[in-house]
Amino acid sequence: MAEELHGAIFDRPLPKELGAPAFVDGWRNRALVVCVIFAAATVILAFLGQAQDGLGWDHFLRAWMLGLMLTFGFAVGGLALLMVQYCSGGKYGLLLRRPLEAMSRTLPLVFVYWIVIAIFMKRLFLWARYTTVSSTAAALKDGLINEAQAHCLDFKRPMLNPFAFVGVSVLCFVIWGLYAWKLKSMALRRDAEGPETTPRWIKKFENWSGPGIVVYAVTITVASVYWVMSMDVTWFSTVYGLLYLVEQGFLVLAFGIIVAIALSKAEPFHTLLRQTEQHDLGKLTFAFVMLNIYLNFGQFLIIWSGNLPNEINWYLDRIRGGWGVVITLDFIFHWLVPFTLLLSRDLKRNKKRLTRVCQFMIFAVAVNLFWLIEPNFKDAARNLHFSWGILEYATLPVAMTALWVAAFCMRLKTRPLVQVNDPHLAEILEPEHAHA
Amino acid sequence: MPPREGTYGLLAEFRTPGDLVRAARQAHEDGWRRLDCYTPYPLEEAAEAIGFHRNKVPLVTLIGGLLGGAAMFALETWISVIAFPLNIAGRPTYSWPAFLVPAYEWTILWAGLSAGFGMLALNGLPSLYHPLFNAPNFRTGATTDKFFLCLEALDPKFDLVESKAYLEGLEPISVVEVEY
Repeated sequence: MAEELHGAIFDRPLPKELGAPAFVDGWRNRALVVCVIFAAATVILAFLGQAQDGLGWDHFLRAWMLGLMLTFGFAVGGLALLMVQYCSGGKYGLLLRRPLEAMSRTLPLVFVYWIVIAIFMKRLFLWARYTTVSSTAAALKDGLINEAQAHCLDFKRPMLNPFAFVGVSVLCFVIWGLYAWKLKSMALRRDAEGPETTPRWIKKFENWSGPGIVVYAVTITVASVYWVMSMDVTWFSTVYGLLYLVEQGFLVLAFGIIVAIALSKAEPFHTLLRQTEQHDLGKLTFAFVMLNIYLNFGQFLIIWSGNLPNEINWYLDRIRGGWGVVITLDFIFHWLVPFTLLLSRDLKRNKKRLTRVCQFMIFAVAVNLFWLIEPNFKDAARNLHFSWGILEYATLPVAMTALWVAAFCMRLKTRPLVQVNDPHLAEILEPEHAHA
Repeated sequence: MPPREGTYGLLAEFRTPGDLVRAARQAHEDGWRRLDCYTPYPLEEAAEAIGFHRNKVPLVTLIGGLLGGAAMFALETWISVIAFPLNIAGRPTYSWPAFLVPAYEWTILWAGLSAGFGMLALNGLPSLYHPLFNAPNFRTGATTDKFFLCLEALDPKFDLVESKAYLEGLEPISVVEVEY
């Protein structure tokens, strides 16, 4: 019907080649080279830092945590957006479905990253170092921790202890892994069966994904609280999990746009990525930019208004002693720049500029994580200062993300880039103005 | 001002958006500038085809939003710092974090109002009369399923006979002359 209506000049046949183009292998190789270079730089910085202030390997682990949260955001955030997309539908999602699937299938690598944290948790978490009442009391007496920390350590021990940390984290990984595996295997079977089974498959994907989104919201809260928030035992915020949830949407959409635009240099995305859907993705990203500042500022405003001694210190640690510069830059990078740029309709429809903005957004997420992680530690709270070790934040996450990108590229190569048998596919092949 | 008389333009009806866009593109390429497309739903390609890329609504919205935000922030600052300073739990009188929320709300409000009223001001709505209402097929189909291209008499190229022949060459369903 579409062809009859719009005539020959708007015909857009489905490309014959649906697999990932050959240059994805090139991306993988480049990513591996970047990984090796930055990993080597990190090790050098770690030794320099160790010689300088004895914190070189501590900074290594903190930077590792940043890399973990970043790649975890890609993998599990990709899974979450995939589930949202299966429930909500939408043509933008059909484009991203296979890239998101590939992101969710990198979960094993993220688990390996997490294992390093689990092994060295004593270096990162006070509650892993002082696991009994007596050791906490001794540390307090020696002046290693303050009274508030000692109180919180004892009070929160049923939740914050190594056993619970490992058990809960592994459970979360099992749940995410189950969903990632289920969605990927169902997708393959769906492709193999004919279009007549599509309505049944759509229902089936919805039934898996709907509850999956709820489970994701719970598990992301648990994971972010255990992995990052608990580095400061005295502080808590009920919106913390949601901040990471939104951050992952921000991150995954930015990465998804970069991938879709980069893939559009060759078939099948050359045909499939229309300006309409690119514009839609840009708008959705813009919504996440807004939601992100909304939640972050909301948390700040509530704690600033309350001005309670057990809450405000978390912000003071992150504003005083030079950290005000970082949070100001964070605000500019994370909100002001993407917000003002993504307001522009022309930019959202321009492949090159949209890619640049999305790359910058991923960088902004890393800056934000740096601001969240580093001031948790006594040597850095209210005291931003240069050391060789702190430079590892700029190298190790790059190496870890590069390795993750290589894994992502390998996953992307394993199956066709488009899900056939989807009603949206016919729509995406229509001329653009039929949907105005 | 006396009522205008004479021919407003020539109205060609097309069956599909594709046909309309093709014809409009052709007419624009052939040098027509006083022309317009009428469709039952927004058709961006049609607007692009006749060389209509930009309007000032985004600018009006931006200015309205910025002014609204600045006005509310200034009002709050004036009240809290100059007119009626209060000590609220020892916080500074210039407490910008608390000022941001109403300022943000006013940004949204004034951006929205500016977009709505700016659009109306710039497109000439509300308007009770348009010459095209004289065309019966326009009245019955312009908001449901018909696509129209109108070459206006104000265009220097306009000539009742030649232009009609030209429009018929673009393969419309019909071409009618419309009076003011």
